[in-house]
Amino acid sequence: MKLKDQFRFILQNMKKNKIRVFMTVLATAMGCAFLIVLASVAFGLHDSVLKDTMESREINEIEIAGYEDDNGTYRSINDEDIARFEEMENVRTVTRAKVVGQEITASLGDDYEGTISASSTYFPAELEAGARLAEGRLPESSNEVVIGHHFIPLLTPSNENTEDLWDEQGFVKEELRYNEAIIGETITLELKKIEDGEESTGQFEVTVTGVMEQPSREWMWDQKVYISEDLLGEMEAFTGTPRADLYDPSDEENEGLIADGYNSVIVVAANLESVQGISDQLKDQNYLTYSIVNEMKQVNMLFTIAKAGLIFIGTIAILIASIGIYNTMTMAVTERAPDIGIMKAIGASPKVIKRIFLLESSYIGLIGAAIGIVAAYIISILVNIGLPLILEAVFEEELPAGLMFSYIPFSLVVIAIVICLTVTILSGFRPAKRATEIDVLKAMRREV
Amino acid sequence: MIDVNQLTHHFTLGKKGNQTKLSVLENISFHVSAGEIVTIVGRSGSGKSTLLNLISGFIRPTQGEIIIEDQKVSNFDESEFAHFRLNHMGFIFQNFQLIPSMTAFQNIELPLILKGMGETARKETALAMLKKVGLEGFGEHYPSELSGGQQQRVSIARALVLEPPLILADEPTGSLDSETEEDLLQFIQQLNKELGITFLIITHDDEVARIGHRTISLADGKIVESGVFS
Repeated sequence: MKLKDQFRFILQNMKKNKIRVFMTVLATAMGCAFLIVLASVAFGLHDSVLKDTMESREINEIEIAGYEDDNGTYRSINDEDIARFEEMENVRTVTRAKVVGQEITASLGDDYEGTISASSTYFPAELEAGARLAEGRLPESSNEVVIGHHFIPLLTPSNENTEDLWDEQGFVKEELRYNEAIIGETITLELKKIEDGEESTGQFEVTVTGVMEQPSREWMWDQKVYISEDLLGEMEAFTGTPRADLYDPSDEENEGLIADGYNSVIVVAANLESVQGISDQLKDQNYLTYSIVNEMKQVNMLFTIAKAGLIFIGTIAILIASIGIYNTMTMAVTERAPDIGIMKAIGASPKVIKRIFLLESSYIGLIGAAIGIVAAYIISILVNIGLPLILEAVFEEELPAGLMFSYIPFSLVVIAIVICLTVTILSGFRPAKRATEIDVLKAMRREV
Repeated sequence: MIDVNQLTHHFTLGKKGNQTKLSVLENISFHVSAGEIVTIVGRSGSGKSTLLNLISGFIRPTQGEIIIEDQKVSNFDESEFAHFRLNHMGFIFQNFQLIPSMTAFQNIELPLILKGMGETARKETALAMLKKVGLEGFGEHYPSELSGGQQQRVSIARALVLEPPLILADEPTGSLDSETEEDLLQFIQQLNKELGITFLIITHDDEVARIGHRTISLADGKIVESGVFS
C-alpha cells in the first residue's frame, strides 16, 4: 500500500469523526504552544543578555589582576609583562593604569570642589581600545589632564547647602553645576602625605585638555582625572610611596606594603573568537585573568539549564495532550474494528494496519504542532509588545532598550516538533498494535 | 490447487485450569484441482466453516497441513498469509462484508490499493470490474444504498479484481432471495468457465451444492462422502 493511499485513507477516516479529531488536535496544539512559549522566555532573556554583552567593549577584554608564581607569590604587572602581552597573537592593545592610592580633592577655582580618583593612563592604548574624547585633546605635557565624563556633574559648589545639592540620579543638580567651558581651565589636585607620623597636604595644578566620552554602560560613572605618568611620578615623589599611596614610608612596618607596578591592566583581543585562546594562554603563564567570556560560559550554562527545565515542563503539557490522542486512537480502533477485520481478510498485512494508525496519530501530532507553532509565534509577538507596556505602566520605570521577553528560534521550533511527534507516535503505538491484533473472524462478526 | 492432509482442529474452551477441548475436524484430507468448483456441505456444527477458515488462514490448524498452489500455507505467519491471501485468494462472504463508509467503487478498489497499484490503473480496473458484475453506474453508491444482490456482486467484484486463481465462498447465497441466488450461481459458473477460477464453496443449500463439480459432505468433523452431488 502506497504512502499516498495510506494518507488518503487516514484523511477519510478522520473525516468520519471531525469533532473528536479537532478536539485532539486542539489539545496537542495547546500543549505545543505552551512548550514553545514557556521555553521562549528563557531563549528571549538569554538572547537579550547576550546581545547586551556583545554590544559592550568589555566583551573583548581580559583583565589581568597580577602574576602568581607556582609557590603562590603574587606580584603586580610590570612593563616587561605588558611588552609580553603586546607581542601575543591576536592582541589588539594593552591598556594599563596606575591608580593613585588615595582620594584626591579637586578644586576648580574657589567655587567648586569634589573628591575624585586619579590614574596615570597610557592614552594611545586607551584610544586603540575604543576610548574616545567627547571634547578637547589628549595631554601633551605632564601638567595636562583629561577628565572623566562625570567629573563636572559630581563637582559640588563650595557655598551650597549639601542637602539640596543632588538630583534623583545622584548628580549635582543641573542648575548648580559648573556650566562653563572646562577645556583650558586649571584644576588644583590636593594630595596628602604622611611623614614621620605627621600628615600634610600638597597641591598640583593641572590644566584640563579633554573630556572623556560617556562610558558604554548607563550605570557607569567616570569622575576620574586621567593624569600623565610624569605627573604620577611627581606625586609619588611628594608622598614618597608607590602610586602616591597614603602611608608613612619612614615606618619600617610599611616597607613593601604597596608593590610598584600597574594595578589595572587590560588585554584587548582583536576579536571575540580569540578572547578564550588568549585568556587560556595567560592562565597557563600564571597570570590571574578575568574576562566576560568566562562569565558568559556560566551565564550560558545557567540559561541552558533554564531552557531544558522549561522545555521539560512544556513536554508535560504535550504528554497530557497525548492522553487525548491515545483515547482518540483507541476509540478509532474500536470503531473501525469490523473494517480492519475486512481489510485483514482480503490481504492487508498487520504492518500496513499498524502503519495506518501510527500515521494517523502522527498526523494529528503534526497538525497540532503546526497550529501550536503559529499560536506560539502570535503569543510571543503579543508578549513582546504588551508586557513591556504593562510593566512600564505598573512600575513606572522604563525597561532596558532591546529587552526581549520571548524569542522563538528555529531550533526551538524543531525541538517542539520532535517532542510533539515523538509523544504522539508513542501514544498511537499501543492502539496501533491493538489494531494489528484484531481477530478477523470476531471483527467480521462485529464481536470486537 | 488445494491439498488438505490429515487436518485436525479443536477449540479450547473454558478458563485456565478448567479447560476442555472441543474437536471440530478430525483427520480431514482432500484435494481440489485447478478450475474445479468444489462445494462443501454439512449440517450446522459439522465443521465446514472451520475448514474454510483454516484454508483462509483466519485460524491455525491444530494438526495437519494445507498446501495451496504448492505452498505450505499452514506454516505461514500472519503477514505471509495476508500477502498470500491478497495475491492468490478472493473471498465471498454470506454477509458481503463490505466496508459501509466506502462506496461500491472504493470497496472494489481496496485490494488494488493494498497491492500498491497506481491510481489511473486502479480506476480503470475497478470500473471494468463494476461493469463485469453489472453494476455500471452504481460505483458511487454506498453499500446501504444497494440491494442484497447488488452488494453481493460488489463483494464478488472485490474478490475478482486482482484475478485470483482461487475464490473461497462462505454461504454466498445465504442473504439472497431465490431469484438473485440463481443469478449469482450462474455468474459463478460463468466465471469458472470463462476464467478458469477455482471455487471452494461452503453451503447448506442444495441449489448451491448442485453447481459443484464435486461435493464434499462433512459430519461431526469428518468427511462422510465425496463425489458428484445427488
